[in-house]
Amino acid sequence: MDLYIHSAGWISAAGTQKEDGFLPEAFSYEGNRLNAQEPDYTGMIPPMQLRRMSKVVRMGIAATRLALKNAGIEQPDAISVGTAMGCLQDTETFLNKLVTQNEQMLTPTAFIQSTHNTVAGQIALLLGCHGHNLTYVHRGHSFEHALINTQLYLQQHPDQVVLAGGLDELINTSETLMQRAGVYTTESVKPEYLLQQSLNGTVAGEGAAFMTVSLKPSANALKVEQLHLFKAKNIEQALEQFAALGFENVNADLVVFGKSGDEHTGLYNELQQQYFSKQPIAAYKHQTGEFGTSSALGLAFITEMVQKNIVPDQLLIAGEKPSSIKKVIFINHYLNHYSCWVLG
Amino acid sequence: MKQSAYIVGTGIISAIGMNTASCLASLVNKTPGIDKARFLQTHWQDELPVAEVKFSNEDLAKMADVDQQWPRTALLSMIAAKEAWLPFQETAKGLRTGFFSANTVGGMDLTEQFYPEYLKDNNTGENAMFVNHECGAITELVAEALDIHDFVTTISTACSSSANSIMMAAQMIGNGMLDIAIAGGADCLSKFTLNGFNTLMILDKQPCQPFDQNRRGLNLGEGAGYVVLMSEKAMQQCNAKAICTLSGYANANDAYHQTASSPDGIGNKLAMQGAMKIAGIEAKDISYINLHGTGTANNDSSEGKAIEQIFGSNIPMASSTKAYTGHTLGAAAGVEAVFSVLSIRDGIVYPNLRFETPMEDISWQPVTELKTGQDIQHVLSNSFGFGGNCSSLVFSKC
Repeated sequence: MDLYIHSAGWISAAGTQKEDGFLPEAFSYEGNRLNAQEPDYTGMIPPMQLRRMSKVVRMGIAATRLALKNAGIEQPDAISVGTAMGCLQDTETFLNKLVTQNEQMLTPTAFIQSTHNTVAGQIALLLGCHGHNLTYVHRGHSFEHALINTQLYLQQHPDQVVLAGGLDELINTSETLMQRAGVYTTESVKPEYLLQQSLNGTVAGEGAAFMTVSLKPSANALKVEQLHLFKAKNIEQALEQFAALGFENVNADLVVFGKSGDEHTGLYNELQQQYFSKQPIAAYKHQTGEFGTSSALGLAFITEMVQKNIVPDQLLIAGEKPSSIKKVIFINHYLNHYSCWVLG
Repeated sequence: MKQSAYIVGTGIISAIGMNTASCLASLVNKTPGIDKARFLQTHWQDELPVAEVKFSNEDLAKMADVDQQWPRTALLSMIAAKEAWLPFQETAKGLRTGFFSANTVGGMDLTEQFYPEYLKDNNTGENAMFVNHECGAITELVAEALDIHDFVTTISTACSSSANSIMMAAQMIGNGMLDIAIAGGADCLSKFTLNGFNTLMILDKQPCQPFDQNRRGLNLGEGAGYVVLMSEKAMQQCNAKAICTLSGYANANDAYHQTASSPDGIGNKLAMQGAMKIAGIEAKDISYINLHGTGTANNDSSEGKAIEQIFGSNIPMASSTKAYTGHTLGAAAGVEAVFSVLSIRDGIVYPNLRFETPMEDISWQPVTELKTGQDIQHVLSNSFGFGGNCSSLVFSKC
């Protein structure tokens, strides 16, 4: 894979991307749910439209605006989006009325905005972008597949720029049901919880991250050199898959782990011992919470770290801050979906 | 695209049949599948006809040989994907195989049964009723059951969803990332989608009449449709015979309205032109257009005008098969891909059922009788939808 990420924009529980600095101060909490800290959308979304937008849509539009602004481009040629759960709030709003009103006297707004391609469609509409437009909804690989689609598209349109992103919103019902399914913890925990393995699930999160991507290098671009995807039922299977990737030969300045505090999180300690004992290590989900497209946020943070050559204190979990960040290995998981990236 | 993506097999289930042969027989015999819902429990049972697959979940699970607690979309997907994959499953060993499946409804059919109880008490109801709610869960259930792991993905772009999964499959075979792909999509009827479309006032209370001046709207349908795409190398190993190639594809956005098409069909036009460009053909080369043709005032008018702009006065034979199958949403382009492939294989063009009065705002009319003995060189298949998502595919004789 030879993709170049030129800019990133995001909304997360740890805050929205800022022009100066990088992330706000370290974010401490005690709880089991991290809501996105949404920015003041004035100037990013017209007020009339903002009123009708659900959280996932406005987060997506704002992250898009930031990514485009940072790249200094008005409009991408194509849009490629990943969302594991789609527009949950509007889906539930319509479902709720359907059930409580016994399928009668329903209005279309929530239904219209409930389809999984709503965000990609709204971005196209707002930007007047008639280009290729796709939405991937494949659980913990939704964003990764949107990026593979970006590569496939650019191979046939090598001079163009694609806006690629991942986003998901958290609602009360998804939190409750995923607690019942054992994905999210019901305990009230502190950020440190997400850095160690537990059998009680991770902390619920949400957010949006978009990037401008092309095949052409630029002075400050982050190159996606490799992206490997696999599923693994447990840590042993994941380690086996990982062993085949040859990452021990990659001389990384920084390693970023998707530690989430769930039962798969023990993998990262194994990897640290076996492969990355000498490298500085960062993590991010203890600041953002976990969701199906959290890897998009991870990649956006890495883009920012490389471009600004800083590792925020609250993200560094082992080793010394590198003096120069050029090569980064990023390993992520969401439930049993893994992604391993070489970036540089 | 460096390598051609050959289509070597099909699998389908819809209101007009349980497999490729029975769906084709219904098309040829002019037997539509639109009727009163038997299995979907809804307030609108008597008022809104649908194109329902004529089996209960229990029966479908038996046919698919899987757990009957699967969402109905996964059951439909499994039956059609199995039909497509079975002939090659043994001989394909060692080849890199992908499963590209689209859907829009996920496990909503179960979630909407679970939700009333949940509203009363957050702790009631079985977890099995919601754990497969995500669209991606549907694809993964089927991929696991078919033992396909090399690349598995789910696309959701409303009514154009499965055209995009076929497009991506062709791209990944084209650049050598995969040897084989089973690509298409599935969707079942649900109260959620039926009521959603009903609020938009685009459902026909009678069997729909696509491309007719007096059309009243669409009928929702359900089903699944897949094609098997292979590289030349994979065809040799599997001793498979190419029916046709997927020679062109394009995805464009109308960027006009969240649910309505632009009056002139800008996105439609871009998708059709883009697909023909990738296929390396011109408008005059198209033998048959399998229309999106939902039967709504808006779609058929936009699509009709876009076709007029591209083809001028030489409009190829064109028909919508949604008067047979209803609009199967995330499955539609998969179902219609199967019909497009069969059109080339058998040299036939399907009639646009129930057509009576030509539309006033376009100059051409769809084919209304079955055409046989045709030399079908290139089929253009259109799928347009919500979110401005427009996709077109070109299938070509080898």
